[in-house]
Amino acid sequence: MINQDFIRQTTGFHRPPSRVQTIWRLIHTDPPLLVGIILLCCFGLFVLYSASDGDEDVVRRQAMIMLAGLVLMFAVSQFSPHFFRRWAPSLYAAGLALLGLVLFIGVEENGARSWLDLPGLPSFQPSETLKIVVPLLMAWYLASRPLPPRFKHLFWSAMMILIPAALIIIQNDTGTAIMVAMSGIFVVLLAGMRWRMVFGGFFVLLSISPLWYLFLAQAHQKDRILTFFDPYRDPTGAGYNIIQSQIAIGSGGVYGKGYGEGAQSHLDFIPESNTDFILAVLAEEFGLLGVLFLICLYLFVLIRGFYIAYCAKDMFSRLLSGSITLTFFFYVFVNMAMVSGLVPVIGLPLPLISRGGTSILTLFIGFGLLMSIHTHGRKSAN
Amino acid sequence: MVGKWQLKDHEVEQRLFNRRLATAAVLIFLLFFALIIKLVNLQISQFEYFSARSDGNRLHSQYVPPARGLIFDRQGKLLADNQPIFNLTVVREQVVDLDKTLNLLSTLIPLSADDIEQFNTRLQRNRVPFSSVPLKYVLTDEEKSRISVNSHLLTGISIEPQFVRQYPLGSLTAHSVGYVSEINRDELDGLSEEEKENYGGTNHIGKTGIERTYEEILHGSVGYEIVEKNNRGQVMRYLDRTDPVAGKNITLHIDAQLQKAAEEALGEFRGAVVAIDPSTGGILAMISKPAFDPNLFVTGISSKDYSVLVTDEINTPLFDRSTNPYPPGSTIKPFLGMAGLHHEFVDYEFAIQDPGYFRLPGVSYRWGDYTLRTVIGGGHGHTDLQKAIFQSCDTFFYDLGNRMGIDIIHGFLAQFGFGDNFAVDISYARTGVLPSREWKMASRGEPWYPGDTINSSIGQGYMWATPLQLATAASIVANKGKVVQPRMLKAVEGEDYEPFIENPVPDVMVNDPDYWRYIEEAMSMVIHRPYSDEFRDYGTAFEAIAMADRDMSYRMAGKSGSAQVVGISQEILASTDIVVSDLNKDHGLFISFAPAQNARIAPQIAVAVFVENGEHGSSVAGPIAKAVTDKYLLEILQIDFASFEDIGELQEEITNPLVSQSND
Repeated sequence: MINQDFIRQTTGFHRPPSRVQTIWRLIHTDPPLLVGIILLCCFGLFVLYSASDGDEDVVRRQAMIMLAGLVLMFAVSQFSPHFFRRWAPSLYAAGLALLGLVLFIGVEENGARSWLDLPGLPSFQPSETLKIVVPLLMAWYLASRPLPPRFKHLFWSAMMILIPAALIIIQNDTGTAIMVAMSGIFVVLLAGMRWRMVFGGFFVLLSISPLWYLFLAQAHQKDRILTFFDPYRDPTGAGYNIIQSQIAIGSGGVYGKGYGEGAQSHLDFIPESNTDFILAVLAEEFGLLGVLFLICLYLFVLIRGFYIAYCAKDMFSRLLSGSITLTFFFYVFVNMAMVSGLVPVIGLPLPLISRGGTSILTLFIGFGLLMSIHTHGRKSAN
Repeated sequence: MVGKWQLKDHEVEQRLFNRRLATAAVLIFLLFFALIIKLVNLQISQFEYFSARSDGNRLHSQYVPPARGLIFDRQGKLLADNQPIFNLTVVREQVVDLDKTLNLLSTLIPLSADDIEQFNTRLQRNRVPFSSVPLKYVLTDEEKSRISVNSHLLTGISIEPQFVRQYPLGSLTAHSVGYVSEINRDELDGLSEEEKENYGGTNHIGKTGIERTYEEILHGSVGYEIVEKNNRGQVMRYLDRTDPVAGKNITLHIDAQLQKAAEEALGEFRGAVVAIDPSTGGILAMISKPAFDPNLFVTGISSKDYSVLVTDEINTPLFDRSTNPYPPGSTIKPFLGMAGLHHEFVDYEFAIQDPGYFRLPGVSYRWGDYTLRTVIGGGHGHTDLQKAIFQSCDTFFYDLGNRMGIDIIHGFLAQFGFGDNFAVDISYARTGVLPSREWKMASRGEPWYPGDTINSSIGQGYMWATPLQLATAASIVANKGKVVQPRMLKAVEGEDYEPFIENPVPDVMVNDPDYWRYIEEAMSMVIHRPYSDEFRDYGTAFEAIAMADRDMSYRMAGKSGSAQVVGISQEILASTDIVVSDLNKDHGLFISFAPAQNARIAPQIAVAVFVENGEHGSSVAGPIAKAVTDKYLLEILQIDFASFEDIGELQEEITNPLVSQSND
């Protein structure tokens, strides 16, 4: 308590809140973030309508999920960060338990055995919840340790990240495993892990990657990497998606072909045009300007996330909000870079634009946490 | 103390965190910047390239085949129609695993090894990428629905409607109209680049008969359309179209009714009938029997059906008897007689005393009179040219031929089209042989012997002529020497068609035009000179034609012939299930034209009949010619001969035909 009181006095950053701000704070909602999110959602639904070839059912379902997400976000933001901090270890244990359960009674879908079909609940992916739980635990663990973290703490942090990641890899869902790991790694990086260790670790990974490629990588992973370097080595097979999405993006030009006029997507040349490759649809129909507009919307949300992290009152909140924001960026960037051919294909959706279910809800939980961090414990300050 | 340490620590930690946050922000901007550079590269620098690629994905140019011109007979009856069928087609580029797809298809519809083999051949052809290749023609409704139900498993497979040829009269026009069938590799290679382009959307080409001769007129020119296709090859939109120009409809001189009558008149015999309108040269009927169903060839004849057609060595249905040569036998005699008159080896008074055989001076071999072989023996006695024709006296012509020599015979008969193809548009017709010294030396390496002339004088030996040639020659006599070259095509798109003939055949000129009347009279006697008390003084075809039809209202000029069968293969003679005697029988021939000796009406039809192993020209082939002539004059043209003014004269001539000529 002493710390917090002190910080509250020292930050001295805030102007006295106006009446309106007070009302927002009362319902624990951050208006700028909310506006950014809603704009993204609306733009996403708009693009999805064209990408799904005018399928209203798809758009309606997506809108329902987004509404559910908003409600979930609102619910999450009502709890103070302390609540999550207290429950972090328990949530982590519960997450691991669910992952363990998946190993035994998991249901396979799209090649990944990552779904739980428990009686009385809609089927869901426990691995998704880890995207929140892992940074939560890492923030809990590192916030109460001296920073930059010592090697001992880094070791345990690594364990805490790698155990769930490994369990998810066993489920054959590499994409989610990478995201879970990254959400944890971002906490460590923000906590001030020394640069020499960061680069050291990076080079170790780089130097063992050939070994991974030779001995551990699965055929489809090798394929993706080879395809990244030369999409035309198998233009109708492995390279097809990326070639077609590049054609879609490139042929969109600066202004795009017009809404609903994207030949590549409407004639089914872009596979996964509703999900992972929806950016190709957007780029084809709205051109470079459309993509820039989307990047601006994302940047707005990201900047707000950074601001929240910057203003956060304690290290736990800072680490958590920073990690959530960076993870969000990671999603956005990896998807956009993959669709435009900048990085190898990794099966990740474009947040709030791609059609999705659990992954959207996870995003909103993250936004809820950001709002919780930004709106709790301020009233007493003024 | 503890509080102080913590206090300092927190400040440092927060600064550390803020530095990290700033680093992250910088990185984020850098990464977005990289992304934007990549997008600018794709969307601005390479815009043209990717636009073209995108258009290439969706836009496809495809051929629109022209509708093939229809073929009508002279009465406007359809001889060749276009019927819609549904084909199973494959776009090779869209089929992921061809073998798997074909296996699946063969569980849905019957697909023979033959079908797949033909399909593979079609795939080998030059073709536009993403064009559809027929796999199986003529799907039944049930097959169509089975494929439609499974279409989601059959990417690249579709059902396409197509118009194909249909020949409503079937075998009746098999040889004359011919048929279309799939273009083969050789035919495609034979086309120029321009023509190849024109056949881009066409699967069929005329293979025989008129379909082949007038391929250019019937085919039309190909059209194009630009279509937008989706990823599964389905056409989504038609964007641009250049209409094809349909092939022209053509009308033939052929009369389907007459064709049918000729076919029926032949009955069970194998043979050919050719009928020509002497005034126009138009071929009114041209049949070869037995024939085959040309419709079988249109959509790819099965090897089983085909082997039935080609292994039948006796009926040889694919063999066109109307345009292939046989020994013409005695049908050659009127032309030889005309040669004799023109070159003054005989005149109206000239006669021989026929002992029944001929001997070359100084040679002991006797050339017997074939026409007397089976009869009582002896000769024809006092025989002039007319009697030599209506009695078909061999001895007279042995003598005449011998005196004229082969050079005169060859030179004169060539004017009637023997050894040549006078037909304007039946290029595939054989020319037969009109022998000459040069021909024999070139083909046999032997000099011409006098005996060869004697054999040739009665249409045997080296003399070979097609039924088409015989009908042509008969029509030239009917025209009194005027040559109108035979032709099939009457009109194009309803407008009369006058073919351009580069080297028109000159008319046959004789010293005295009365010779034509004389020969016509002699040929008329073949049919109308009745039995009398005088020995061998009747027309050879009198009994079979004029006597059989006592009410015959017009006169017909004709000449019978029979030709010895030569060269039956030992294989056929040895086979047990064939009555060899039948195959050994002479071929019966008959040529005629009618109405003859009619001051009012010029001859309307010239006919040549060939009956394989028919034995007798006069009794077997003659009535067939009569039936065809009757059909044409009385039923189709509906000439009422009785209604003419000189009805009395005509009647008199019929009842007592030879009174007026007995003094000639």
